[in-house]
Amino acid sequence: MITTLLLVSMAIILAAGVLALSGLIQPNIVWRRLSLLLMLPGLAGIIVASVWVMAGDLQVLIPLFEVSELLAVNFYLDRLSAFFILIICVVSACVTVYSLGYVEHQPEPAQRQWSIGLMAIFILSMIGVVASENYFALLLNWEIMSLSSFFLVILERKQAENIKAGIYYLVMTQLSTVFLFFSCLVTYSSTGSMAVNASMPAMANLSLVLAGFLLGFGTKAGLIPLHKWLPYAHSAAPSNISALMSGVMLKVAIYGLARITLNLESIPLGWGLVLLGMGTLSAVLGVIYALKEHDLKKLLAYHSIENIGIIVIGLGLYSIFTFYSLELLALASLAGALFHSLNHALFKALLFMCSGNVINAVSTRNIEQMGGLVKRMPATAGIFLVGAAAISALPPLNGFASEILLFQSYLGAFQIPSLFVAIGVFASLAAFALMSALAAACFVKAFGITFLAIPRSEAAAQAHEASPSMIAAPAILAGLCVILGVGSFHFFNMMGLNLPVPNLLPVTIIIITVVLIAFLMIRYLKIPVRKIETWNCGSANIDSRTEYTATGFSQPILNFFSPIFRTREMVERSFTDVFRSVLHHGKAEIKTMQIFEERIYLPVARFAMRIGRWVSNWQNGDLDNFILYGFIAIVISILAAGWWL
Amino acid sequence: MVVVVIMTVIYYLLNPLFILLISPLFMGIIKKIKAMAQGRTGAPVWQPYFTLHKLFKKEIIYSDNSSFIMKVAPYLNIGFTIGAATLVPVLFLPPEGSVPANIILFLYLLVSAKFFMALAGLDAGSVFGGMGSSREMSLSAIAEPITIITFAAIAFVLNTTDITQMFATTASNSLTEFPTLLLTGVSLFIILIIETARVPVDNPETHLELTMVHEAMIIEQSGPNLALMEISHAVKQTLLMAVLINLLFPLGMPDSFTFAGVALGMVSFAAKGSILCVIIAIFETSLAKIRFFRLPSFFMVALFLSFVTIVFELIL
Repeated sequence: MITTLLLVSMAIILAAGVLALSGLIQPNIVWRRLSLLLMLPGLAGIIVASVWVMAGDLQVLIPLFEVSELLAVNFYLDRLSAFFILIICVVSACVTVYSLGYVEHQPEPAQRQWSIGLMAIFILSMIGVVASENYFALLLNWEIMSLSSFFLVILERKQAENIKAGIYYLVMTQLSTVFLFFSCLVTYSSTGSMAVNASMPAMANLSLVLAGFLLGFGTKAGLIPLHKWLPYAHSAAPSNISALMSGVMLKVAIYGLARITLNLESIPLGWGLVLLGMGTLSAVLGVIYALKEHDLKKLLAYHSIENIGIIVIGLGLYSIFTFYSLELLALASLAGALFHSLNHALFKALLFMCSGNVINAVSTRNIEQMGGLVKRMPATAGIFLVGAAAISALPPLNGFASEILLFQSYLGAFQIPSLFVAIGVFASLAAFALMSALAAACFVKAFGITFLAIPRSEAAAQAHEASPSMIAAPAILAGLCVILGVGSFHFFNMMGLNLPVPNLLPVTIIIITVVLIAFLMIRYLKIPVRKIETWNCGSANIDSRTEYTATGFSQPILNFFSPIFRTREMVERSFTDVFRSVLHHGKAEIKTMQIFEERIYLPVARFAMRIGRWVSNWQNGDLDNFILYGFIAIVISILAAGWWL
Repeated sequence: MVVVVIMTVIYYLLNPLFILLISPLFMGIIKKIKAMAQGRTGAPVWQPYFTLHKLFKKEIIYSDNSSFIMKVAPYLNIGFTIGAATLVPVLFLPPEGSVPANIILFLYLLVSAKFFMALAGLDAGSVFGGMGSSREMSLSAIAEPITIITFAAIAFVLNTTDITQMFATTASNSLTEFPTLLLTGVSLFIILIIETARVPVDNPETHLELTMVHEAMIIEQSGPNLALMEISHAVKQTLLMAVLINLLFPLGMPDSFTFAGVALGMVSFAAKGSILCVIIAIFETSLAKIRFFRLPSFFMVALFLSFVTIVFELIL
C-alpha cells in the first residue's frame, strides 16, 4: 500500500516535470500552472506515506530494478528517511505554491518552463537520495540532484556572476561526489554490503571512510571550511530555488551524516569531537560573516551555514554522549539536531521566499537600497518578521524549541567523565550562546534595514506587494513555525519522547494575556495619538541619507570580532610639498581577506593546475609519443605479471 | 491535586504582580543613593512611580516614518518581560513541576523583549535610535556567552536547569555547601550591571551620544508606550536581582504558600533588594564609564569566573 502510494506519487511529480518541459515547444502560462498544480497531489501523497511510516515505525523496502547486487536501484523507508522525506515534501509543496506566482517574474518564457521542469526533477532526486536503499542508488540520485540544481543556479544565465557561481558550485559538488564515491567503495570492500543502513563495524579503515563521508556530505551541507560555494550559488539561483536548496538540499546532506552516525556500531570519540568542532566553527563564523553581508540572499545563505552548524553540533553531541553511554542526553541532542533540521527548513524557506518578494519589488539584493518596505509590503514584512524571530531562537517559536534541546544537552555535559572533553564541550557552549545572540543581532539588522524607516532608494519607495500565491506559501510556513514552537512539548509527548524541555504553552498564554491587558488598559485611558516627523536635531528635512545604515549597524560587532576578519588596509598618499602637509593624491582601501579562499581553495587549485600542466606535457598529440607510451605500458605490465605470477 | 492547581494559579497572579509593583521602587532607591553619593539630595525614592503615573496621562507621539513595529513593541516588551517574571519565584516556591521555569527559557524571553525593542529603535529612521539598537545588540551579543556560561556553572553546581529547583536547593542548604556559587555570584552581578544598562557599560542618566545605548534606543517612545518600556526595564532589573539574591541569600523564602509566609517573603525580598540596590548604586558611582570598544575585557572577568567555577567543579 505504501509502496503503491509512494511510487504513484513520484510518478505524478515526474509527469508534472515532463509536462512542464514539453511545454517548451510553446511556453504558456496554462501549462506552467497545470504542471505546478499537478505536483501538489504528488507531494501530498508522499507526505501521507512518510507520516504513515513514521507513525507506525515501519520499515518498507521497495525494489525498483536490479542489474546485480552492486547495481541496484531500490528504495527503503524507515523512521529516519521518512522524517527527512517529510521535510523535503512539506517545503517543496510550499515552494510549488510560491512558484505559481514567482516563475512569472522571470524574463524569458522558456526559462519559466525550464525552471518548473528542472524543479520537479530536483525534488524527485532529493527524495530519491533519502529513500535510497543502497549506495549505488544514493550516488545516482545524488548526481541527478547536483546536476539539476546546477542548471537551476545558472537559469538566469545573462549575468556573468551567475555563471561563475554555477561553475564554482558544480566543481565543489562534484568534489563531494568523489569523496562519497570513495567512501562508499571502501565501505563495500570492507563490509561486503551496499545497503545504506548496514551497520558499520569498527573496521581498520573506519577513520578513512568517515573522513570521506564527512568531506562529501560536509561539502554539500556547507560546513566551514567547505562552504565557499554556498553563498555564491544560493544568491545566484532564483529565490524559489534558493528556498529549496537552502531549506531542503542541505538537509539531504545532513541526512547522510545522520545515517552514517547512526550506522556506526560503536561511535569513535573522535567522530563526535570533529563534528562538534566543525559544527561550532560553522555556526559562529557563519553568523559573523552574515553580519558583514548586505546582500539579502547572501546574508540568508550565511545563516544557512550557521544553522547547518547547529545541526552538526547536535550530531556531534549525540556521538560524544553515546560514546560515554549517556543515553538520555544523547537522545536529547539527536532529537535537537533532527528537530532543528525540520525547523530550519521551514523558516529558511520562508525567509528566502520573502526575500524573493522583496528583490522582485526593488530589483536589487543590497539591503542598503531598501528600507520602508513595511508600509508598502505589509504582508511580506509580517511573515519575514515571524521567520526572523524563529531563526533568532525567540520563544515560543520553533527555532527556540530545537535550540533549547541542544542547550539542555550542553548543560548535561558535566556528566562526561573526561575532563578535557567536558571543558571542550563547555567552550563550545559559550560559542553556541554567542552564535545565538549574534543571529538575533543580525536579524534585527536584516529586518530593520530592509523593512523599517525611510526608503533608501527610489525603487524601494515605489515597491508593491507580491501576488497572493507568493504570500500564501510563506504564510503557511510561518503558521507551522508558530505551531511547532508552541506545541513542541506536546509533539514530543505524542511521539513518546520524554525530553527535558519546558512546556512553552503556559508562557505563550501569559504573554498574550499581558499584551491584551496592557492594550485594553491603554485603550481605556483614551490617550490621544499624534503623528509628526521624527525629531531631526533642528536640521532641515530628514531623509534616507541620515538614517542608520546596515554597515553602521553591524560595525560595533565587526569591531569586536575584527581579528576574525583580517581586513587589509592600504593607504597610498602623495604630497605636493616636502613637509607632507598638503595632500596631492590619496587612495585608501579596506578589503576583507577571504581567508578560506586565499589559504585553502587557491593553493589546492594551484596544485591541481600544476599537476595538470605537468600531465599535459606528456600529452602533446604526437602519434610517435603515444606509441612509445603504449609500448612502455605493455613492457611494464609483462614485467609486473612475470614478477607477481 | 486541587491544592496544587490553586497554588499554581496564586503563584502566577501574585509573583508577577509583586515584581511589577516593587520594581520602580528599586529604581528609585538606586537613583537616590547615587544622588547622595554625588552630594545631591536627589528625588524621593517614590519618584519612578510619579513619573510612570505622569507618562500614562501623556499623549503618544508617533513618527511619520514609523510602522506597526513601533506600536506593538511596547506591548510585546512588557509581555515577554512579565512572561519571564512568572519563571522567577520571589515570594514563595510554586509546587514542583507546575511552572516550566527553565533557565534558558527565562534568558531567551528577555532576549525576545530586547529584539523588539531594538527593532522599534530602528523604526523611526532616527540615527539615535539606530545607534542605540546597534549598540544594544552588540553588547547583548558579547554578554550572551557570559550569561549562558554563568548559568551553566550554576546549573552544574546545583544540578538542575530549573530555576524553582535551584532556589529550593539553595533555600534548604547553607551557602557553605556550595562555595563556588560565590564566584558565580560575582559573574551574576556583572551580568546584572550589563543587562540593566548601568555604569560602566552605559549611563542610565544621560542621552549623550557617548553613552547612548539603552536610552538612545527608546528615544522615540512617548507617553504610555514609554511607560511600558520603562516598567519592563525595571522588571528586568528586579528579575536579575532576584536570581542573584535567591541563589546566594535565600533566607526568608517560604517553600509553599501561606499568608504569613508570603508577607514575610515580601518584606524580606524588599529588604534584600534594597541592600543590593545600595551596592549597585555605590558600584556605579565609584566607577567611570568604560569606552565602548573596551567593554569586552570587563565582560571577560565574568566569563573567567564562571569558567573557573566549571573547572573547579569538574576537578573536585
